[in-house]
Amino acid sequence: MEQHLLYTDDNLEDIVVKYSNMVYRLAISHMRNKSDADDVFQEVFFRYIRKNPIFESEEHRKAWLIRVTTNCCKKIYASAWTRRVVPLDESIVFESKEENGLFYDLQKLPMKYRAIIHLFYYEDMSINEICLALNKKPSAVKMQLMRARAKLKEILGEDCHV
Amino acid sequence: MFKETYKSMYDKIIPDKGIVSDTISSKRITKGVSKRFLPLYRRPVIVSIVLVFCLMISIPVLAASIPTVYELMYFVSPGVAQFFKPVQESCENNGIKMEVVSTYIHDNTAEIYVTIQDLTGNRVDATTDLFDSYSIHRPFSSASGCQRVGFDETTNTATFLISITELDNKNITGDKITFSVREFISDKHIYDGIPLEIDLSDISDTPDTMPPPAEYGGGRDGDYSIMKDNTPVLTPSAPVNFGIDGISITGIGYIDGLLHIQTFPGNITINDNHGYVYFKDKNGNDIMSVGSISFNDFQNGEKVRYDEFVFDIPPSQLDHYELYGYFVISGMYTTGPWQITFPLE
Repeated sequence: MEQHLLYTDDNLEDIVVKYSNMVYRLAISHMRNKSDADDVFQEVFFRYIRKNPIFESEEHRKAWLIRVTTNCCKKIYASAWTRRVVPLDESIVFESKEENGLFYDLQKLPMKYRAIIHLFYYEDMSINEICLALNKKPSAVKMQLMRARAKLKEILGEDCHV
Repeated sequence: MFKETYKSMYDKIIPDKGIVSDTISSKRITKGVSKRFLPLYRRPVIVSIVLVFCLMISIPVLAASIPTVYELMYFVSPGVAQFFKPVQESCENNGIKMEVVSTYIHDNTAEIYVTIQDLTGNRVDATTDLFDSYSIHRPFSSASGCQRVGFDETTNTATFLISITELDNKNITGDKITFSVREFISDKHIYDGIPLEIDLSDISDTPDTMPPPAEYGGGRDGDYSIMKDNTPVLTPSAPVNFGIDGISITGIGYIDGLLHIQTFPGNITINDNHGYVYFKDKNGNDIMSVGSISFNDFQNGEKVRYDEFVFDIPPSQLDHYELYGYFVISGMYTTGPWQITFPLE
């Protein structure tokens, strides 16, 4: 049976609309500010258009977008450190104090744990799906998730049910 | 509980319609073109400068007759300045007057011009910074930014452009906004490329250390694998001044083979002092830290900050480098609060 491949040109507008929230939220979870998340968002979809990747399935397309988003975040985060002397006068404010507190607290979560926490808790992805997205072995993802949750407990308090 | 709050929080985060549509429409431009495309609204400064330059060379007489803040509006946002509606609501406290001059509400964004004027002295200057102490009380989740766009030294007035974008992508319609400022800092000085007269010839490889405090920030700057998780930090010692008031060094030492240099900006909640240290090699190249750790402590009831910079330079190589610093120091701190409620229409 002939395999049906997915092409970048398969209705780009639908793809951007379908994955825009996922990419943007993942970018915010890393960068913690709107300006950098905007940059990541654009960079991810420009790479998508430029590289013209072909996917075996929709699952692979999603994984590719997640992986590129985390890579773009790391790249911009590293450059942000080199220009760290300019304090970013920008804030994200939520309606509830609880959400504001959590958003603030999550800034303390090391960069390397942010993607796995977001994918696990927000995107409801399984360990296997995270492995595919982040291109890591299941044992590595399990270990990183365990450490990330321990770090979260440390940040949010032992009584927080993570 | 964590999961529910996390989900609820991120459900509200949605990219702007503008950035999504720009990304979709950029396909035609981007395909086959290696140059990165950015929509015009991502480059407001460039657009502003070009348009203002055209404006200035064509109608300088007219520009001179417009009140300062309106000049600034045309300078900062020439394309939309005409859409701003006057508000001119003000309040006064501690000899400082704050005025909401004008607003422009469009789609899910509110832009507000605000002036801060010192009626009694020189606490407001060209470096005045609202210092994240401003807030907009609105019943929606939002991302906001504040940009100082001008200073009029004849009236001691600084002008700011506040931009608020609702995260839920819902249009902002009729209602009120309460804008408040808690405090501001001024008299800011930037020390760029300052050589630090610190003796690097006898650095301990067994300094006093302590576990990283429960609350700390920072990260790895370059090589993500060099710094270990939970690396200890230097136990702060008596501050050593290096000639810049407002920041000092409280420790230097090798921990796990990496050089840690700890700076002490003091109570950053009232000064926002910050910066970093770095090395220069003999060819003049900057050697930045591989990571940094920031943590807070309490001294005499005040929250103080320490910043520790970590370098991968072995002791045997240290005499090939010189220590430099970049610091931003504020000399004045003024408290309010100031608060103005105004309608959005």
